[in-house]
Amino acid sequence: MAQFLEQIINGLVLGGIYALIAVGYTMVYGIIQLINFAHGEIFMFGAYIALMLITVFGIPFWVALPLSMILCGMLGMLMDLVAYRPLRNAPRLSALITAIGMSLALQNLARMIWSARPRQFPSEVLPTIFLSQNAVSLPGGATLPYRDVFIILLALVLMVALNRLIYLTKIGKAMRACAQNPVAANLMGIRTNRVIAITFIIGSALGAVAGVMVGLREVVTPTMGYYKGVAAFAAAVLGGIGNITGAMLGGIIIGLAEVFGAGYISSGYRLAIAYIIMIAVIVIRPSGLFGRSTGHRA
Amino acid sequence: MKDRLTPKNIIFALFVCFLPLLMYGIDAIALFLSHQDIYLSLPSGDYMLRIIVRAYLYMLLAIGLNIVCGFTGLLDLGYVGFYLIGGYTAGLLMARLGVSYWIALPLAVLNGALWGLLRGAPTLRLTGDYFAIVTFGFAELLFRIVKNEQWLIGGPNGLVRDIPPPAILGVVFNQNWHNYYHILILLTLVVFIAYRLQHSRVGRAWVAIREDEQAAESMGIDVSRYKALAFAVSAAIGGLGGGFVAQFQVNISAPFFEFWESILILCMVVLGGMGSIRGAMIGAAILGSLGEVLRPGFIIPYQFGGSRYLIFGIILILLMRFRPGGLTLKKA
Repeated sequence: MAQFLEQIINGLVLGGIYALIAVGYTMVYGIIQLINFAHGEIFMFGAYIALMLITVFGIPFWVALPLSMILCGMLGMLMDLVAYRPLRNAPRLSALITAIGMSLALQNLARMIWSARPRQFPSEVLPTIFLSQNAVSLPGGATLPYRDVFIILLALVLMVALNRLIYLTKIGKAMRACAQNPVAANLMGIRTNRVIAITFIIGSALGAVAGVMVGLREVVTPTMGYYKGVAAFAAAVLGGIGNITGAMLGGIIIGLAEVFGAGYISSGYRLAIAYIIMIAVIVIRPSGLFGRSTGHRA
Repeated sequence: MKDRLTPKNIIFALFVCFLPLLMYGIDAIALFLSHQDIYLSLPSGDYMLRIIVRAYLYMLLAIGLNIVCGFTGLLDLGYVGFYLIGGYTAGLLMARLGVSYWIALPLAVLNGALWGLLRGAPTLRLTGDYFAIVTFGFAELLFRIVKNEQWLIGGPNGLVRDIPPPAILGVVFNQNWHNYYHILILLTLVVFIAYRLQHSRVGRAWVAIREDEQAAESMGIDVSRYKALAFAVSAAIGGLGGGFVAQFQVNISAPFFEFWESILILCMVVLGGMGSIRGAMIGAAILGSLGEVLRPGFIIPYQFGGSRYLIFGIILILLMRFRPGGLTLKKA
């Protein structure tokens, strides 16, 4: 029972992290119909940047987190500007190959800069509340670390904020307009390229938060963007790609499925579960579990 | 194929034959310069021969991937899956059941084709990104299976050991120059088949599907059938490469077949120009034998190990930006 409860908590935490990454995939796809393979790498850079800010520059955690978000947002915008914007009118295959190249380049850049050695956020520089021994005891002997509470709450707050941003603000309206029809939006006076840049910034900043969250619980490696990125992409597909609410729910489902699959089937197949769900959804129901609000093709 | 013996084709054939030699020279210089503090002699010919065999192997794989990516215009991110199937089919048959290589190799090809069809069936309807994702997931699943299922593979992390070399009437082909002629014959065969297909009704149907699927269908092309054929032929070539590599490497293990290998082959096809057999071969010759040049210690300092893929990534980005048709095709 205690194990079961802890698995549920682990699943929810992982799900919240996946949801934050998945939103980045789905927002970009909704507007420019591009699977931004390099989004996972942005997430990985988020973790490394925060780690460097804390360990090398001695910046406190609560400053390093927003700073990492800002820097990753810049990185995402730069990526769009350099690699994707020139290909806006090129065949979709070209943009997809560029995205793969970008992912490859960034992942190996990280390996060059930080080496393949797994790193951890050193416990002495983190706020003490994040240490794994600080936990609430739950009935049945399970424990709930404050760290996990923080991750779930932060993910939730960011999700709600994003949702409000998209449905209540002017820029959100512009994003929805671009997702529906970029050409018409442009004719109505919306600066499409600027909206796309902002989409990349928001997606990348949320990815950076997810990266820091993973850093708090696990290790940071150059390949984490690839592995977690694929699972998060599966979440985006599950929720119906282009559908932001769907991506959030998809993230939770993938997170729970992965944790339970690893716990009760085999830990070697952790990632395989996400792949299987992803393939099944694409083949059986390409519009995802929750349909899709934007996006144009199956 | 009316233009069978035009000067252009003869020059190209010579080029393909001598490109690995050229690369051999570059690699030899690279190795010489990078290791000169250790020993002042050229690396052994056998080592270089292995690099050339690998370059030819990559040419073969690039031609196979080119059939799906270049001819039918679908982005296959899981080509390494068929390479894996071929490798493990041949490897397990030979190492475990003692089947002769000359039987195991065709079986590897057949098994590759079979899996090409199995994977193709649910993906016939899919286009663009979704096709790419499913193929990627397929190859990753296969990779996980060989890594985890030790009862099947029988070694840690999917290792099959001591695959015997092929033999005819007691003559054992275990020298590197045997492998050189072996892969050259297989490559010639594959090039021939690919050229014949490209210039046949089938090849024209594939290109028609690439250009506009609906138009092709309304012209009476059975899109599903031709796509399935493309998947099967492409996968069979992957299986052939895998079957060869099983005996070439003697031991094969899961890390041989990681996702990045798919991307490397894709990079070769894109570099040469998608849809062109010559392009695929040139791309494979360049990237497949540049490995030694890009190895840490020569152009790239030692502390930046593993940056080969960084360069491949940048090549992909720059090509798509400035020359989407690849090196050999005219600017699209």
